[in-house]
Amino acid sequence: MRYLTIALSKGRLTEMSVELFEAIGIDCSELKSSTRKLILCDEKNKIKFFLAKPADVPTYVEYGTADIGIVGKDTILEEGRNLYEVLDLGFAACKMALAGPAELQGKIDELTIRRVGTKYPNIARNYFEKTRRESVEIIKLNGSVELAPLVGLSEVIVDLVESGRTLKENGLVVLDNIADISARMVVNRVSMKMENERIQKIIDGVRRQLLLRR
Amino acid sequence: MSKWKIYTPDGVQDILFDECYAKKEMEGRIRKTFRSYGFYEIETPTIEFFDVFSTDIESFPQEGMVKFFDQKGRILVLRPDITVPVARITATKNRDVQLPIKYSYIGNVFRFNEVGGGRQNEFTQVGVELLGDSSCESDAEIIAVAINTLKAAGLENFQIDIGQVGFFNGLAEEAGLSEKDIAGISKLIDRKDYVGVEEIVDRYSMPDELRELILKLPGLFGSLDVIEKLKKITKNKKSLAAIENIEEVINILRDYGLTKYISIDLGMLKGPDYDTGIIFRGFTYGVGFPILSGGRYDSLTSTFGKDCPAIGFSIGINMLMMALGKTLLSKDRPGVDSLICYKKNSRKSAIEIAETLRKQDMNIETMMLGEGIEKGLEYARSKQIGGVILIEADGRILVHDLENDIVSETSIEAILNSK
Repeated sequence: MRYLTIALSKGRLTEMSVELFEAIGIDCSELKSSTRKLILCDEKNKIKFFLAKPADVPTYVEYGTADIGIVGKDTILEEGRNLYEVLDLGFAACKMALAGPAELQGKIDELTIRRVGTKYPNIARNYFEKTRRESVEIIKLNGSVELAPLVGLSEVIVDLVESGRTLKENGLVVLDNIADISARMVVNRVSMKMENERIQKIIDGVRRQLLLRR
Repeated sequence: MSKWKIYTPDGVQDILFDECYAKKEMEGRIRKTFRSYGFYEIETPTIEFFDVFSTDIESFPQEGMVKFFDQKGRILVLRPDITVPVARITATKNRDVQLPIKYSYIGNVFRFNEVGGGRQNEFTQVGVELLGDSSCESDAEIIAVAINTLKAAGLENFQIDIGQVGFFNGLAEEAGLSEKDIAGISKLIDRKDYVGVEEIVDRYSMPDELRELILKLPGLFGSLDVIEKLKKITKNKKSLAAIENIEEVINILRDYGLTKYISIDLGMLKGPDYDTGIIFRGFTYGVGFPILSGGRYDSLTSTFGKDCPAIGFSIGINMLMMALGKTLLSKDRPGVDSLICYKKNSRKSAIEIAETLRKQDMNIETMMLGEGIEKGLEYARSKQIGGVILIEADGRILVHDLENDIVSETSIEAILNSK
């Protein structure tokens, strides 16, 4: 039997993904041990795992080097890969939002926004082109995006908002919701067809687990 | 100025000896398969007007095409596919030709793709197009040609998924979805994004049965019995016609004895936007992308001024070669049978022998030597040529059999009659 390969996002999604897979009877003990091996196996079920940077997970899955991936919707939207997005795992939930100084609240339809700071240039560009039908200047940042409007680098930002506390403490507010974000299970388009039975079993198992936890 | 001199542009490649040989050999087998079904090969220009590919039916995004200008300032593109030019030909040069017309092609196409996993910016497409026949028979024949082409290319484990865009269109009409939502939801269904599909469906009030069916669409794939089940629960005419179309196509493919390669995916929607009826994709192990895609595109030729039903498929040869991998290269290697070495004073008889053997369908190289035969043997070994023939001035001929390490003497007559 061929190995099925699962790509997990390194970071806050790892632990929750591992826990879900263990609950459906996949052996992740190698993954939990602090080994330096990059690829880990469950020999009984013929499943291989590897941890990758979240932004790379959709790439591995699109190219078929991983059959299944666990990754945040934010990354899926930003990377724009051609994948099957089969399950909403529900965890790591937050929102992708347009945010800016409090005085802009309620005025966003009259605003002409010129500069947008974000870690997600593609999501921001899509939002402004398709939803707002505006041409804007996108400034790619790598962290502390909230800083941009405070120091005058941009008028608004597009960023993940979890509790909204960071925004609030810096005098910023959510101006518009762009998308609901949570962890998703993605599957390569060819694998879904060629290994349908095994992959469907994993999807169904995880779906049952999610229902139990609701 | 010469900064890029030693590089090739992104997404293009040199295809060298063994690989090139295997590719041409495979194209030969594919061409033979096409001919065996009565498809005739055509060539279309590598360069076309941009307008050809930017019709109302937006089949190719402009940012994906390689563009430049002619002397009159008109926009040209390197063709991103050959299906659209075939539609152009059918509606113009061939508008009065007796239908159906059966085209085949083997040619390079150009797209700004993200490179990798078998995708290139320049790649060879092979395919057939059947114009002027809208029957289930032609749907099935094209799928049969597709399957037999993959088999002829040497692929054994593959699967052809069949869908029908009419099924979804019927449901969308019945539910009264807006045009914008139809575009949105069909992308979501194609991604098997259940969450997204539900979000859109929830905005509409519709009968529970219909709602359930649309929500199920992303998962409506798998073995052929999907069709049987759907036939019972489908209400609207358009969707039912789509189901009956697939059913009949499968019946015909059963007569071809090819159903083992077939499965169903009614959630397969986002192909080229010119898809109108049955659509299909081919998958295999070892490649993350479809290696084959095809379908019905009945409205494409009308954008060129003539209504004509049409169906066809194309295969990405580079992708197929990746799927075949090492098996392909080990099967086919270019080879030279013998190397004929001579000195200046034995040149005439050496050339005569070489030419005679070539006419007997052997592959022969010749080499003039100075002192000794070592240089010839070394070259032959490096190119894996099995035999080296040394022609001496006195008419003596020495044959070095490199495989068995034997040297024997023979005569001109013996060599010329050996085959």
